[in-house]
Amino acid sequence: MLTLIVILAIIVGLYMAWNVGANDAANSMATSYGSHALTLKQIVFIAAILEFCGAVLAGHRVTSTIAKGIVPIQFLDQHLVAIGALAALLSAGFWITLATYYHLPISTSHSIVGAMLGFGLAAVSQGYLTLSDIHWFVLFKIVASWIVSPLFGALIAFMVFTAIRIAILDRYDIPAVEHVFRYLQVGTACYVAFAHGSNDVANATGPISAALGFLGHETPIWVLAIGGLGIAVGIATWGYRVIETVGKRITELTYTRGFSAEFATATTVLGASMLGMPISTTHTLVGSVIGVGLAGGLASVDLRVVRKIIISWLVTIPVAAGLSIALYTIMVIFL
Amino acid sequence: MKFIRSVTDVFGYSPFKSLRLHAEICGRAVGLLQRQFHAYRKEDFDTVEKLRDEIDELEHEADKIKEEIRGNITSSLMLLVDRHDLLNFLTVQDEIINYCEHVGHMLTFREVKTAPKDIWDEFDILLAKIMEAVNEYEKLVDHIATLLASSFSKKEIVEALLHVPEIENLEHECDMIQIGLHNKLFNADDMNPLDAHLMIEWVVHLGEIANNTARAADRFRIMILSR
Repeated sequence: MLTLIVILAIIVGLYMAWNVGANDAANSMATSYGSHALTLKQIVFIAAILEFCGAVLAGHRVTSTIAKGIVPIQFLDQHLVAIGALAALLSAGFWITLATYYHLPISTSHSIVGAMLGFGLAAVSQGYLTLSDIHWFVLFKIVASWIVSPLFGALIAFMVFTAIRIAILDRYDIPAVEHVFRYLQVGTACYVAFAHGSNDVANATGPISAALGFLGHETPIWVLAIGGLGIAVGIATWGYRVIETVGKRITELTYTRGFSAEFATATTVLGASMLGMPISTTHTLVGSVIGVGLAGGLASVDLRVVRKIIISWLVTIPVAAGLSIALYTIMVIFL
Repeated sequence: MKFIRSVTDVFGYSPFKSLRLHAEICGRAVGLLQRQFHAYRKEDFDTVEKLRDEIDELEHEADKIKEEIRGNITSSLMLLVDRHDLLNFLTVQDEIINYCEHVGHMLTFREVKTAPKDIWDEFDILLAKIMEAVNEYEKLVDHIATLLASSFSKKEIVEALLHVPEIENLEHECDMIQIGLHNKLFNADDMNPLDAHLMIEWVVHLGEIANNTARAADRFRIMILSR
């Protein structure tokens, strides 16, 4: 029975990774398509390879946070952990699919954190854990990182674009500068893909590695590779359409602006990966774009999206947690 | 497209391309008006009416652009210029083409037969001068592209605003020509009074085209400098 649950968790985890590639990775790469720094084929190629590299080479810390950072799974029976991980993946996967259908700008990272918390709370309600066993401080740090990351992205993007403006745009011929930044933006596109892979792969591999029962030691490379592969497949099978649709709406972005926003996003996200914090890359990208706007780089920035994002935070956690509690409670009875 | 989740709404509506297009349409309308006067002088009244309709169409097109801009500029947009400055600027720019339309219609009210040649010559000079002012104005508004590309660098602002005193000078020259024309028209004792009256109306309304061009240039400057 345990094997079956673990296999199911891997399958649903792959669906999660596919989702991350299909929408989140695609959104992060759309700025490179919008500014015409790269063609669609080039972007898909770069994104698939570098997301995979990021996942495999730098994905372990966030994976570990999702797997055992919130719920102390070492106190629980492996059977229960596997069910909990499966419940978390199913509820996050369901919520993400629903939200994607209704075009809600929710975050996959927030969903899986909410879902893992739901699993923990369900275990508390059944008396396997006490409320104080849940790692509330880690959860607090994660939530703080959600607030800090878009602000940090905005700050870096503001500084980078201001520096470009004062040191370069004011002094040299603008078309020549933009031409050079076209090549630099190819670099930041790779950087974004790598950073995104290193952070968001955990949304799939965190619960998988919990289900597999890797407690005392690091997540094995093959689990991260599965996650990375799922993301790459997501980009290749659906993400390219998202990149095309979304990129076409971004017409005002020049290479210097794209470079600034992408550099800020990637730096923030990779930093969060190093700290093991599961943050939202797309929300960080929004912060970075606003930062470029505040530095005078964009003709128009629509701040309505900020309200939408805050609402999506407030909705995602209870919904993902609630679904996870319900699924876990039902599954514990039958499995 | 279904199954898409995106945050790119953050890239808001940008009115600047449409503003340039609106200015270009104003320029085209003044060009048509100049042709309409030439046709009138040659007593080619079919062409006069045809050109009136063309100007009407341009005015309608400009109105649609104005509506598009006004309808999309919401308070949630963080623009590079003040929202109210931009909308004020647009209102004045729109007056340029509104007055073109007025004059276009006034040319079809009556066939003026008693005006002496020197008055017609003066009208030609006035229209050429207005055309010059509007061309200069279009150059000013075209600077929006480089202003945006450079994120409003000081160098680009200075370069763009060099056109403003130029436009104001041209508007002043238009004023002088108008005064001359009024003088002539009020002393044209041999003219049919209705002819003279209509021509005086033309002068006043043509003056408004030049005035609003200069005012729009000034609003543009306010918009750029008070960011």
